[in-house]
Amino acid sequence: MRILLDKFTKKFGNLTVIDEMDLEIHDGEMIALLGGSGCGKSTTLFAICGIHKVNGGRILFGDKDVTNVTSQERNVGVVFQSFALYPHMSVEQNIGFPLKLRKESQSEIKRKVDEIAEMVHIENLLQRRPGELSGGQQQRVALARALIRRPDVLLLDEPLANLDATLRLEMRSEIRRIQRETGITAVLVTHDQTEAMSMCDRIAIMDAGKIVQITEPKDMYDNPVSDFVAGFLGSPPIAFLSGQIKDGNFIEPSTKTKIPLSGNITKNHNGRNVRIGVRPEFFQPGSGITIGGKVTFIESQGRETLFNVTLSNGTILRSIQGKRSESKIGDQVEWGIDAQKILVFDEDGARL
Amino acid sequence: MGNSKHLGLFLLAPAGIFVILFFLAPVVLTGVFGFTNMSTATGITGGSYMVSESAMRPLRSRFGEDALADQLSKRIYTIDEEGLQAAAEAGGDAAALTELRSNFFNESFGNRREVETAIKSLNARPSTTRGIKIISAQFVKSVINVRFDTFEELLTSIADFGIELSDDQIEALADVTYTGWTFTLQNFKTMVELPDTRKTLINTLFYVFTTLILFNTGFALVLSISTHYMPTGPAGFFRSIWLLPRVTPPVLYVLMWKWLAWDTGFLSVILEPMGFAPRNWMLDSPTNAWVFIILINGIVGASMGMLIFSSAIKAIPASLFHASEVDGATRRQQIWHIILPQLRWPILFITIYQTLSLLTSFEYILLATDGGPGGATEVWALSTYLKALQNYGGALQYGYGAALSLVLVVIGISVSLIYLKLFDFKNLTAPPKIE
Repeated sequence: MRILLDKFTKKFGNLTVIDEMDLEIHDGEMIALLGGSGCGKSTTLFAICGIHKVNGGRILFGDKDVTNVTSQERNVGVVFQSFALYPHMSVEQNIGFPLKLRKESQSEIKRKVDEIAEMVHIENLLQRRPGELSGGQQQRVALARALIRRPDVLLLDEPLANLDATLRLEMRSEIRRIQRETGITAVLVTHDQTEAMSMCDRIAIMDAGKIVQITEPKDMYDNPVSDFVAGFLGSPPIAFLSGQIKDGNFIEPSTKTKIPLSGNITKNHNGRNVRIGVRPEFFQPGSGITIGGKVTFIESQGRETLFNVTLSNGTILRSIQGKRSESKIGDQVEWGIDAQKILVFDEDGARL
Repeated sequence: MGNSKHLGLFLLAPAGIFVILFFLAPVVLTGVFGFTNMSTATGITGGSYMVSESAMRPLRSRFGEDALADQLSKRIYTIDEEGLQAAAEAGGDAAALTELRSNFFNESFGNRREVETAIKSLNARPSTTRGIKIISAQFVKSVINVRFDTFEELLTSIADFGIELSDDQIEALADVTYTGWTFTLQNFKTMVELPDTRKTLINTLFYVFTTLILFNTGFALVLSISTHYMPTGPAGFFRSIWLLPRVTPPVLYVLMWKWLAWDTGFLSVILEPMGFAPRNWMLDSPTNAWVFIILINGIVGASMGMLIFSSAIKAIPASLFHASEVDGATRRQQIWHIILPQLRWPILFITIYQTLSLLTSFEYILLATDGGPGGATEVWALSTYLKALQNYGGALQYGYGAALSLVLVVIGISVSLIYLKLFDFKNLTAPPKIE
């Protein structure tokens, strides 16, 4: 079902956390609300499920205005960060709880629980208590409970934050599989850009209560609208160089490196102070426009190696290299920047 | 630090001494006293031997020694050296005494009249009746109401008195003349026989469970759950109000209830215009007395449960409330399916704790009705206290009181065990089985 937030506003006391936010989530789509802590992503989620009352604007499920509908009546499924399983109930009772509240018959509840348990692969755990389950199993139970009454929208609040690294990888694809199988509209709240990029159809990146950019993961990575978005996506993160546009070129003042920029960017901006963003994969030995610096940090990530190269003015460039490199800490290197792939931002951080 | 073990023991020693002195010893002694007939009459130290009226009664009834009892109860008068000397010291006429010695020495008389007749027959008889009585009084011989430290002394004295005893009689006398306490099961027999015991037991059960269910657990739950759904400020305010009775000194607290209920008190004043005659509403009828007793105890008792339950509800993760809301639970369903199951352990704790404290505490009843009217509100603990330590007649029955309190301990333990069973204690405390 399509979800629409129309000029949604949320205040806590005198503090306006979210001011007139518009967001449309398409039917069957999985969207990520991505941002750092305090950006308002969880607040938005709690408003969609009705736990928080909104202070302005409307929330629509399909064409139905649910702004003043209680969370009990809203038909949403939520997976909480802590899973929020009822500790005194068995797994079966936990999953069947929403149906029991609606006074469905025992046999009907049993049938539906069995069906959903099979889908999330916990059919052999139904008689256990949540305290007897591992983190990943609890996650699956929480997911089953959220899905059992066929909600209009599935809301996931940092669902992977409490899992260890390998489980996180497994559950990432599991959640995506289940979302695809059920065709349910889903909202994922996360601060982890990898999660957002790998699981979702679109990402809405949020900062200080506003959606900064909303688009598909790959497009957001390649075409961020601001230095904030560029810095948020990508690991290891993008590096920034300050300088000036002069005659169609970017000039880095300390090394006097000249990087040619496309005409679309440079026209009307001659002489302007800008920052360019260079992603680690586009700063490599033996190609592009070379720039000199000293290797100050090396981190081996197994298959790849990350280098920090510090320029004479202290700016750090990052490079990630698949091939085994001979460089050592302290080496003076001259590596190249791929001029086609650099991102240019003005003084305020907006993309040029 | 090989001797750190001893250091610990050393540091704990004062606490150990206090525990033994003020807790363990009284408990053990109460257990022992329950099987004695200790009372003000027997004293708490060892006793002595005495032929008394009360000792003769069992001698007749239990041993059938009526003749012996009659003999021992008798007083005889013998003119002997000892009596003559005493008479001289008491100011008896010297001439009369000399003549008495020569005429009647070592003669015995069955009663005082006979002695006095003998004195009157003397030539040098005293001129006044008082003079005769001074002399006659000195020759009385009796074993009755004389206290002997050992049984042997009593026997010697009886022999002097001229009574010969069979072995059976000696045994019977040893039993009945001992004034100290002895071990006995009589307390428990009495308890079963007295109809008051049954009434007190019913009173106690009614008092404990009514107060417990209505207030200490029930009302405490209502308070904590309703304040949970209130905004923080008003919730704190309401909780503080319900804490006030607990921080009021009990004597003043009960006094305020008495002011409320007196015939010139608040209730009477506002009810009089409505046609109700002023009266002491608290002691007017047993029903009224119970209503007041339960209110007085319940309103104090509810605050503790409220505190415990409130903090337990606060400890439930907010996400459980959120989850149940989006699962579709109404507030009532939330209370029933989320809050109450999570409060099982605190409810068990409060129920056991308050049952025990209601069973043993009687200060509010003592202050408010003192068990009245007519014993209608006398509960077991109060009854124990009255029997053992506070009796208007002054005859305190330590042994019987101790036996009553022993029964209370047994009741307390049994009730706790039943609760543990009911609340499935083993499951509550089972360690989680996490893979």
